[in-house]
Amino acid sequence: MTHDTVDFGAPTLVEGTARVVAVDGDRVWLVPEQTTSCGSCASSGACGAKGIGTTASRLEARRFPLDNEAGLIIGERVVVGIRETALLKASLTAYALPLTTMLVAGGVAQSIAGSDGVTMASMAAGLALGLLAARLGAGRLFSRGEIAPKFLRRAGVGESCHID
Amino acid sequence: MQEYVLLMVSAALVNNVILARFLGLCSFMGVTTRVDTAVGMGLATTFVITVSSMADWAVQAYLLEPFHLGYLRTVTFILVIAAAVQFTEMTVKKVSPPLFQMLGIYLPLITTNCAVLGVALLLVEGKMSFIAATLFAFASSIGYSLVMVIFAGLRERLALADVPRLFAGPPIGFIVASLLALAFMGFSGMSTN
Repeated sequence: MTHDTVDFGAPTLVEGTARVVAVDGDRVWLVPEQTTSCGSCASSGACGAKGIGTTASRLEARRFPLDNEAGLIIGERVVVGIRETALLKASLTAYALPLTTMLVAGGVAQSIAGSDGVTMASMAAGLALGLLAARLGAGRLFSRGEIAPKFLRRAGVGESCHID
Repeated sequence: MQEYVLLMVSAALVNNVILARFLGLCSFMGVTTRVDTAVGMGLATTFVITVSSMADWAVQAYLLEPFHLGYLRTVTFILVIAAAVQFTEMTVKKVSPPLFQMLGIYLPLITTNCAVLGVALLLVEGKMSFIAATLFAFASSIGYSLVMVIFAGLRERLALADVPRLFAGPPIGFIVASLLALAFMGFSGMSTN
């Protein structure tokens, strides 16, 4: 009996490649790689166009820590993964929650006051409240370790990143 | 109340941003190979479209219209959209750095999404009230997200299907997109708004 069938019940991981840029005790700092229009994501770290607002500078701002259980060294490329559901939860927390509170606040204000100015002010307040709730929700997700990427393997020579 | 519901159904389904107005087609083809990335992109775009449309409405009502600066509308709206994306990026980064690390990748892509500008221009042309404009923008972006997720699900199934070699990849994707657009034409009998 063969066991080469796909296990659809297994948790799906979203994979991405990252490069080790610093080693800090038991942790390493990674910068994600992203496909550019030239398709040379593996060399994006050495790209000359690394000014403010460029892809390279945005990626630099997105560096993240990882436990160095695999003995990684600076310059190594690794494949990291997060659960598919984590991406959904993160999106709902960051965007859907503030949007919902903003629209509810606006709807209530419109039905009570019926003025554009009051509705705008209420929506701003609702947005601020939603962002506060998102901060609390994100903190809870992070403390549970649900939105932290996990080390999967060292990236092969031809292995590229997947943003799609 | 009923007019708002009709407005939202019309914006989301009947005059869908992607399949009826043909806006945001680059992200429609580019970020729909997986359902999870389509959901992430869809929610981020929903947030940005709604917030930037509210700001665009205010700029139009309190600046461009009173001072007869209508000829600056497109340029001003592009500036407002870029500012809204930057605001969202900074806010997500401030609210939760881990969330920013995970989701920040989608935000720069939204600045160049023509659906954001298209919705803002449409709601100004419609001369809507603030709440109607906000609901129109929200419903339009929900329609955008809905189509993105449906198409991503279809493409995930297509990846497992035995497609003729010449049609594999984007060609069969375009054929499926056209069939999806035909299916959405079925909603055109629901409302004429």
